[in-house]
Amino acid sequence: MTRLIYKDRPVELSPGETVLEALERAGVDAPSSCRAGNCQTCLHRAIEGAPPPESQSGLTAAQKALGFFLPCVCRPTEPLTIVPPDDAGARLEATVRAIEPLSHDVVRLRIETTPFPYRPGQFIELIADEDLRRHYSLASHPEEDPFLEMHIRLHPNGRMSRRLMVDMKPGHRLHVAGPRGTCFYEGVDPEQPLALIGAGTGLAPLYGVLRDALRQGHRGEIRLYHGARDSKGLYLTEELQTLAQTRDNVRYIAAALDPNAPFGGDIAALALAEEKPRLTQTAYFLCGGENLVRRLKRDLFMAGASMKAIRSDVFSPA
Amino acid sequence: MSSLYERVGGQKAVDAAVELFYRNVLADGRIARFFDGVNMDDQIAKQKSFLTMAFGGPNKYTGHDMRNAHKKLVAKGLNDTHVDAVIENLNRTLRQLGVGEKEVKEVAALADSVRSDVLNR
Repeated sequence: MTRLIYKDRPVELSPGETVLEALERAGVDAPSSCRAGNCQTCLHRAIEGAPPPESQSGLTAAQKALGFFLPCVCRPTEPLTIVPPDDAGARLEATVRAIEPLSHDVVRLRIETTPFPYRPGQFIELIADEDLRRHYSLASHPEEDPFLEMHIRLHPNGRMSRRLMVDMKPGHRLHVAGPRGTCFYEGVDPEQPLALIGAGTGLAPLYGVLRDALRQGHRGEIRLYHGARDSKGLYLTEELQTLAQTRDNVRYIAAALDPNAPFGGDIAALALAEEKPRLTQTAYFLCGGENLVRRLKRDLFMAGASMKAIRSDVFSPA
Repeated sequence: MSSLYERVGGQKAVDAAVELFYRNVLADGRIARFFDGVNMDDQIAKQKSFLTMAFGGPNKYTGHDMRNAHKKLVAKGLNDTHVDAVIENLNRTLRQLGVGEKEVKEVAALADSVRSDVLNR
């Protein structure tokens, strides 16, 4: 009999039975709808063992790489340890290594922790206290950086912001959990153009994805669009300009809202106009606030981009 | 006699139709507002389920799910004319993909069979 572990607890799996049937029989409250591998309502993740390929049909390359699968059509062929799709995993202790301003209201936080596997562009949960936790995207690279890097916008009345400004000196202890998220460089053809579009601290995951793409030898053109409310909000500009000058295949397009700028400096409108001729070949990464990401996703899709080619990460307001 | 699902092109046809159908629906001013605020990735997966069912493919359709999914929309005014518009878009999508008229009619009939569930009647 194939072993099935659900969140540390063994679940009995009868021969020929699907994981969904086994979970239901064990009294686990597992959502489901079509029970035919189409609707993805029952999505779970295997953290140990490989789910059979037919149980990953229709999922993105990033989801497959992380072990996501559809329990309703999964008849395991090897032992699996599975968790619900939004399970954050174990908590790790971490130490603040550096905290520096990147702009007037964005700081770069670097923390050290026991190394764990992650993909640049994923996010972690930063736990300052039991009741003070936020999700932040990773701009660092696990093979290049001995720290985790996040770009955090400071909100004048934000509790985490206050904590960052007052307490978080180098040496300060906290916890992290994760990583999560599927907005990373996976399932992309190295010759394919990439368009990374974000606003504000949406640059953090895009910066991670950009570094990962270059490290993996991406040859297609990479167009990085960064938008901000005003020019003070554009950060890492020098570094990105230098990168665009030294790399043949990297373009950096920054815009701040300004009625006199092309498209009013609206990065989404600017990117859409620029991308229209190449929509069908490009892989898209969209990061930032909900309105921006939603609008871009819809506009790109309606203009002809495939949903399969659009990866996105929405930042919820802190 | 091969099944409807085989005649329209099976899984490949579903994959080809799903984005085209969704674009058609979102561009249709009569029904686009019902899709405001939905997560597009989730919606694509749901459309895929619906098309698989409408094409006569493998599914475990339950009216219960369809009712729950549309309850809020019925409260927003979803009615027969909107279901007609969706089926019209489905027909147009199939014709764009070169599916024969006989199959288009069969698919429309299958889609129409869930009308009462969608409208929570």
